[in-house]
Parts: sequence; C-alpha cells; structure tokens
Amino acid sequence: MPNTELLETMLHRMAMAREIETLMLRHTREEKFSGWWHPGEGQEAAPIGATAALEADDYVWYQGRGSAWAIGKGMAPGPILGDLLGKVTGATRGKGGGVPHWADYSLGIMGEGATLGSVYPLAAGSALSSKIRKDGRVSIANFGDGTSARGTFHETMMHAAAWKLPLIYFCENNGLLVGTRIDQVSPTANIADLAGGYGIPGITVDGQNVMAVYEATREAAARARAGDGPSLIEAKVTRKHGHYAGDPQHYRPDDYLKDYRDPLDLLAGLLKGNAAARILEEAKAEVLTAYEEAKAAPEPDVSVIERDLYHVA
Amino acid sequence: MSHEVMGYNAAMGLGLVEEMRTDESIFIMGQGVVTGGWFGMEKGLVAEFGADRVIDCGISEAFEAGLAAGASIVGMKPVINMGFGDFALIAGDEIYHKLAKWRYMHGLDVPMTAVIIFPIGAMGGAGPEHSSCTEVLGMHFPGLKVVVPSTPEDAKGLMKAALREPNPVLFHSVQGLGWSRGDVPLDPDFVVPIGKAVTRRAGADLTIVTYGSMVPRSLEAAETLSTEGIECEVIDLRSLVPLDWDHVLASVTRTHRAMVVHEAFRTAGPGAEIAAQIQERIFFELEAPVLRLGAKDFPLCQSADLEQAAIPSAGSIADTARQLMAI
Repeated sequence: MPNTELLETMLHRMAMAREIETLMLRHTREEKFSGWWHPGEGQEAAPIGATAALEADDYVWYQGRGSAWAIGKGMAPGPILGDLLGKVTGATRGKGGGVPHWADYSLGIMGEGATLGSVYPLAAGSALSSKIRKDGRVSIANFGDGTSARGTFHETMMHAAAWKLPLIYFCENNGLLVGTRIDQVSPTANIADLAGGYGIPGITVDGQNVMAVYEATREAAARARAGDGPSLIEAKVTRKHGHYAGDPQHYRPDDYLKDYRDPLDLLAGLLKGNAAARILEEAKAEVLTAYEEAKAAPEPDVSVIERDLYHVA
Repeated sequence: MSHEVMGYNAAMGLGLVEEMRTDESIFIMGQGVVTGGWFGMEKGLVAEFGADRVIDCGISEAFEAGLAAGASIVGMKPVINMGFGDFALIAGDEIYHKLAKWRYMHGLDVPMTAVIIFPIGAMGGAGPEHSSCTEVLGMHFPGLKVVVPSTPEDAKGLMKAALREPNPVLFHSVQGLGWSRGDVPLDPDFVVPIGKAVTRRAGADLTIVTYGSMVPRSLEAAETLSTEGIECEVIDLRSLVPLDWDHVLASVTRTHRAMVVHEAFRTAGPGAEIAAQIQERIFFELEAPVLRLGAKDFPLCQSADLEQAAIPSAGSIADTARQLMAI
C-alpha cells in the first residue's frame, strides 16, 4: 500500500493542475487571451505520477498539454498562470502566451518543444551529460502518441539504447493526434511495442491511475540510474477536451467519453476520511489566488522582445 | 610565442585540442571522429581524451544537433562535426529553433556553448548535396553566432573563441581551403574574437567585402587589378554574426565603392544583406551601387570543372571590380 504522504502530495498537484484547467477553459472563452490553450484535463495523472517518481534534480523535457509537468516538478501556479496570461510574473518574465514555455533549470524543468516531438534529442543531450559527469540524474523526454512518428524518435532511441543513456521516453497516448486516430497511422497497438526494436523495456500503463504511472516511472528511473539504459513508458490517457480550447471536435464520436474515468476521483478514492476534500479545497484556493494575482500583474514592456537572445559572459 | 606552418583543418583541430585540455566539459561527436574524422582534424583525440568525450554516432544530424542543444543547456560544451554544411537542413529544427531559440523562448539568460562544424563549399566534385554554402541561414535566424575562417590561423583562433563563447556558434570550415597551409600561433591563449573583421589588403579605390573561400581569390584579383592601377581594399569578415559593420562602413567611407563576394548563391545570399545595409547606412558616401558576386543560382554540378565555373573566380572578381570602377 502506497504511503499516504505520497498520495496526498500527488493529489494536491493533480488538483492544482485541474484547477488551472478549469480557470483556463473559462478564461479563454470569456476574457482577453493571447494564443491557443491546449487543455490537459483528464491527463493529469500521467505527468504527476511520473514526476513524483523522480528526484528533484532529474531533467524533464515536456511537450504536454495542460500544466501538470511543470506543477509536478515543482513550479508554483504563479509563474505558470503569469505566463499563460502574458504577464511579467510568468516564468518567461513576460514572453508567455497560450502555448507555454515554462522552464526553471533549478527545478529540472527544461522546457517545452513546440515543434511537437522535438525534445527527444535534447533529452538525450542532458542524459549524455549525466553519463559523462556520472551525476546520477535521469532525463525524461515526454511526447504524445502522434509524435512517435517523428524521425528523431528513432534517431535518439537508437543511440540512447546503444549507449545505455539514463533516459526515459514517456508517452502520453490519448489516442488522437490533433483529430486523427493514432491507430490510423501506427502499425502497433501500443507505442510501447516499439521498444522491442531497440532492445529496451516498453511498458504500457493505465494513465488514469497515478500509482501505476508512478511505479512504472520509478522502475525505469532506477534502471536508468543503475546504468542499464533507457525505457519507454506509455501511459494510456484520456484527452477530455479538444486539441485546443475552442476546437469544435467534429472528428470525435458523441460517445467518446462514455468510459471516461477522472484520474482525480480515482486517486481521491484511495485516501481516507476528508483528506481528499481538504486537499482539493486547498489546491483550488491556492490556484485561484495565483490566478487573481496574475490577472492583476503588469504586462511586459515591449523591450522584453530584445531580451535573452544572447548571453553575455 | 612560436608559430608553426600547418594546414587549415589541422589548425582547427589544434584549437579544439587546446580547449579540450583546459575544459573538461567539451566533447566532440560526429561520424568517424574516433577514427580520425573525414577531414583529419580529430586525429588522435580519443587516445588523449577518452571515449566519453570523443563519440562516434550514426548518420543522424537532427539527433546530433538536438543533443548539442540539450547538452549545452545543462552546461556541457558539445562540438558536433556535421560532415557537410548541407546537413544543416536535415537538422533544421534542432539548429534554428532549438539551439537558436530555446533560451529566448523560455526567457532564460544562461550560457549555452555549442559548436556546430559545417564544412561548406566546393571541394572538387563533392556534388550538389555536399558543397552547399549554408551560412546565410545562421544570419537569418536570430540567436546563433556565425563564423567562416579563411586561414589556418583563423581556423584555430575562431575555434578557440567559439568554445569560450556562451552562445551557440555555427562554425563553417571552408572545404576548398581544407588543405591550404599557413602560419599558426602556438600560444594557447591566442584567440580570434568573434565579430571582428580584418583588412587583408589595403587599397584606396574600392572595397571588396568577402569571407571564406573567396578571400584568397579576391586577393589574387586585387593583385591583378593593381597592375592596372586599381587598388582594392579586401576585407575578410571572418564572422557573419555578429558582423563587423563598423569595419566595413569605415572602409567603404574611404573608398566610396564596394562589392561583396561570396561562394554562396547570389540571390538572398549574405551579400544581399551586406549590400543593402551599406546602401542604407552610407548611401551618400557611395559613388556607385554596391555590386554582388556569388555562385550562379543553380545547384552545383557533380563535375569538378563545372563546379568551378559556377562560383566566382579571381577572373570574375576582377571583372566585377572593373565594372564597378567604370560606373
């Protein structure tokens, strides 16, 4: 039986990510919003379970929907929402917008590749660095089912497996690449089946079940740290909303969500007494405060355009 | 400190070796770097620095450049030998998005040292997909530094500067000059600063702005023209990003005539930007329009003879200079 503290921590993080989803869906409909929000509601358990299984200094390269990768690795709702609303309080200090680029290297949040499926070789870069430095860190390359089609998926894993890099490919398979079903373009039933070609473990887990994700990631991380090389984890998740907020979703059948299981409910059910209710309330309040602060925060001066292009030693 | 006469590629390799000796975070990756590399500059590296820092990889340019981005973000200093500049396009996302923009788009002001070696230009029949001059791409996408050494001395000095530079550098080695030889300082503190042009020949009548393979050809043309009473000033840019505008504009302000010569395609090549800026910035100093000379706007032929006919020669440079003087 998992320890209560871990369950509570993960529920708190999932609830924060969920509250950001709720606020953002309303915000994008009703208020000024610059960009496109890609909702992650329904998929929170995968990033939260995966990041909970990592050490604080492990590297996460993500491309996920929603905010759960950043939340899971320790970013506060303030810089997350500040970015989404394009305010100076955001993680990018004012360059943000609907497609987030949250990064905080002190937290191992390495950033998002918005050319989807582009973080594989970058994660191999940090993984190779860890191998050279022998620093014991693990790198995660997060991706979706659709981006398993990328050439760099293969280029990177071929080398990572040969060199036994401390790398985890973490796929959130929600079955849809934008509006196309993954089974229309994938020859295998599972993305994890591709692992066999590289001689590495490939495991498919129920991505709505945070503990299943946690256990799989912990095992893959231990293997990576032991010098035994990469793994591929595929979390089967449910994308509750469209590709972007406002997507009319003509491609989805009406009964798409008939078997939907809310990952928060599944996790809350494991906690005793009123612990879950209390945690959900706290998370909601925390996010709501951050949202109000982000709304009140100033927008950046246009001089932000000319910042961070080159580093001056 | 002493000097030694050595080849262009060997000098570049010496710059790399010297920096690897003092900075353990530098590693090199490419095809055949363990075995000495296609151009010989990596010879002996694995014996000195070990297999962790001298790494052979598959034919996988996107992987290599993306890995360089990821490794440099976490503080390593990767050097990727891309084999050919043409392969920049295979790794387009990784070079022009990830290396160039990652820091910017995440709002992070951190050092990011990475050197991507792109051998560019005609080398005697390497063909249309192994001879491209891709350096203009690094000028177009903000966030990268771009160098093109034309001498062994600069090949060494710019490699050392690139490895001390906290920004990604596209290091274009010139294939046509790979076996040229020259005097190279052995002082390990010798560097050629990125962003500084040099005047290779002084002259009062016109300024030839050039770099890379066209530097020796421009100097040859200048000698011919001198016998006709036309004195050319030849500027070797050495860096395209940042470009030493002060140096260029000061020269043209003296000569009042300018032409840009490069091996890259003429249309939308580096010369288009350089000519435009000269005309925008010192229009009233000019006696004539700024002329441009580059490769014909056709893919380079596989034939080594046709290859030379498609790119500027000392003769065509001299012809353009005469034309400029006649305006």
